[in-house]
Amino acid sequence: MHRLQPLCSSLPLQGYNTGVNNVAREINILLAGVGGQGVILMSELLGKAAIVDGLRVRGSEVLGMAVRGGSVTSIIRLGDDVHGPLIPQGKCHILLALEPSEALRHVSYLSSAGLAILNTTPIVPFTVSLGQSSYPRLEQILEKLNSVASKVITLDAAQIAQEAGSLLAANIVMLGALFGLELLPLKRATMKEAIEARFAPKAALVNIRAFDLGYQVCRRAVA
Amino acid sequence: MRELTISSDAPGQRLFVLGNEAIARGAIEAGVQVAAAYPGTPSSEILATLAGVAKELGMYVEWSTNEKVAFEVALGASICGVRAMASMKHVGVNVAHDPLMTASHIGAKGGLVLVSADDPWAWSSQNEQDSRYVALQGNIPVLEPSSVQEAKDMMADAFRLSEEFGQLFMLRSVTRIGHGRGDIVLGDISRERRKGSFEKNPDRLAYVPRVARINKPLMLERFERIKKAVNTLAYNQLHMADNARLGIIACGLSYSYTLEAVKWLGLEDKVSVLKVGTPHPLPEELIISLLKSVEEILIVEELDPFVELHVKAIVGEHNIGVRVHGKDVVPRIGELSTRKVSEAIASLTGCKLPVDFVGLDRLEQEGAPLLPLRPPALCPGCSHRASFRAITAAAQRVAREYGEDAEPIYPGDIGCYTLALNPPQHAVDTCICMGGGFGLANGMAHIVEAPIIAHLGDSTFFHSGIPPLINAVYNKANITMIVLDNSATAMTGFQPHPGTGQTATGDEAIAVKAEDVARACGVKFVEVVDSFDLKAATETIEKAIRFQGPALVVCRGPCATIELREKRQAGEKIVPFHIDHDKCDPKCNACIKLLGCPAIIRQGDKTVIDAPLCTGCSLCAQVCPYKAIIQA
Repeated sequence: MHRLQPLCSSLPLQGYNTGVNNVAREINILLAGVGGQGVILMSELLGKAAIVDGLRVRGSEVLGMAVRGGSVTSIIRLGDDVHGPLIPQGKCHILLALEPSEALRHVSYLSSAGLAILNTTPIVPFTVSLGQSSYPRLEQILEKLNSVASKVITLDAAQIAQEAGSLLAANIVMLGALFGLELLPLKRATMKEAIEARFAPKAALVNIRAFDLGYQVCRRAVA
Repeated sequence: MRELTISSDAPGQRLFVLGNEAIARGAIEAGVQVAAAYPGTPSSEILATLAGVAKELGMYVEWSTNEKVAFEVALGASICGVRAMASMKHVGVNVAHDPLMTASHIGAKGGLVLVSADDPWAWSSQNEQDSRYVALQGNIPVLEPSSVQEAKDMMADAFRLSEEFGQLFMLRSVTRIGHGRGDIVLGDISRERRKGSFEKNPDRLAYVPRVARINKPLMLERFERIKKAVNTLAYNQLHMADNARLGIIACGLSYSYTLEAVKWLGLEDKVSVLKVGTPHPLPEELIISLLKSVEEILIVEELDPFVELHVKAIVGEHNIGVRVHGKDVVPRIGELSTRKVSEAIASLTGCKLPVDFVGLDRLEQEGAPLLPLRPPALCPGCSHRASFRAITAAAQRVAREYGEDAEPIYPGDIGCYTLALNPPQHAVDTCICMGGGFGLANGMAHIVEAPIIAHLGDSTFFHSGIPPLINAVYNKANITMIVLDNSATAMTGFQPHPGTGQTATGDEAIAVKAEDVARACGVKFVEVVDSFDLKAATETIEKAIRFQGPALVVCRGPCATIELREKRQAGEKIVPFHIDHDKCDPKCNACIKLLGCPAIIRQGDKTVIDAPLCTGCSLCAQVCPYKAIIQA
């Protein structure tokens, strides 16, 4: 847990895991992945939960040409000092990446006290099959991330999602992992209510399981 | 959790929304009665949101055939006295430009608002033009929000202002507003529903030259009144710092970056800031107060130096001794950011940047070569992929007869199918504007000796493909026109259009068919093919290319994304294909090279099909020379 202290001290985040009434000034979360992985859904759920817990939310995303298997980025910024829809370079506190190379794409946004949570399952674009580009090794990606982030947490969200009951729930596994940091000024219960409200009862069960598994894996990683 | 929605009558409550939903909510609060649009990123969700609640709230909402028609629908309703709006992307405003320039002469009876969604960095567009210049040309006042909340507030207010001043207003959004997200505080919803009526008034409504001359001075008078009023409008705010040497004028969304940058640099008490929410007309009195109080001015705005030019004019006119900076330190290309604004301020004040941006740039540059290329691609199972395989196979066959180096020419258009610009299709040679492919083909046909195969989607065909089609018939252009018909405006979110037989609000309509239109327009070769019947489609397209005179082929196949969604909902099983490695020659890779389907991948030295991605469309099985691809 001590490795998370730099983030806590730079963010006045102490105590946020227990209470949500503190005034959060600025927390910047960048969600990265590939079209179809459910990045936008994650930010919708996070934003909904945040306002229930009384936080101001700002963010943005790029759709359109980017969704057809292209890179998708969504931004969620919490707190009263936030005005703009974009995270300034060097100010991303948590990089939540559903795909390893997409984490690398945003490495320059990480703050020096920032954290990265990384799903290790790659989605290799067809340009690699066509021989037009190559896919980096995981170690190369981790090396770059570690050169900036205070901590990088890796998990196989695809496998955990399958354990929970559906490969499609990898995004919710990652959301669970985000809460496993215990750094957000948000109640876990609020987040789970938002997830439950979003899905039909059967899918909600799977997704709550996915959230809990992601949460536990991250707790173990930071312990 | 309490479930609020975009139509909830819950003033004071907070809702987390997309910026475009906030704009729709503003219109709902204002009691808009008619809304029309043509889809276009980043504007589409505005009308989609309104369509979803139209019946519940008693509004008329439509997807129009194009932006010009959409604006005319709104104008017609406004003339009849009800509140009306049209929303479109910036380049859509070009399509609506003709009625727009005269609409501002008419003024507004029912509040009339045009939403232009600009796209700095052209994330989803063919250019990044600044629609404030359109407003300047048309004497149309502009509101430009700095946040998602303000987008909602301004939209609601725009209707009130439009009626107060009897003038059409523009709300200028940008990608990071429309596709921004944020919490908004809901306001009261107006339940007023007016019974519209048309009053004959040709001196105001029928623009013969005499009427233009009557109404232009009236329009200018209205504009002068608005010009005075914006000085006290709450969207323009002047924050003066004591003894500030530098003043910043920040327009629209740039204000949010400016607030963050000023704080980041620790300059909160040292610079004066004017927030501008009305770039046209500008709040001149506030600007003059600021200009007279500082030595230097920095204008922060996205895209063109619109505010900058006007401020420079004010400085000259009032002979104020102040140095004006803008695009000399703020980029004119792309989106702004807190970093870019910080750098601009630092360059003028000499203060230290809070982060080592150069180091971060280096880090990004070092990482870049490791990144795989991940361009957007046609979806697995996309019918356009099948159509393009047929088009390129047929075209190459015919082109060979024109000479050894002869290449077919593919004037393309705007939609998902623009992605065929990329390998392996390479079947988009031009992409200029909606309907432009057919138009360009008309010009090329009289100049070059080569097969010219122009293509566009079904929605684009109805939008602006028909006049160039008629032109080809009338002026005998020897071109092949392909309509890539997947029964959706897929790129922007699968909106219905005149060919789908469904309206924005889910009502049934007559499905207009491209082949019927073409026949009625005098095209003598008109055929419809199934995109996924590769052999038949290729043969038919080849015949069309060989046909002397304009020919049209409709390649019909469903949008894979819609079809998959429907199949999943119906519980229908999707049976993927797989590769029989006893038959497959691993060195062949024809499937990958010809189709570029994201579901076909190389795994070690084998080619395999990624089963969860495969839709079972069969296209790869049809191109495999070894018949090695079979349905599981």
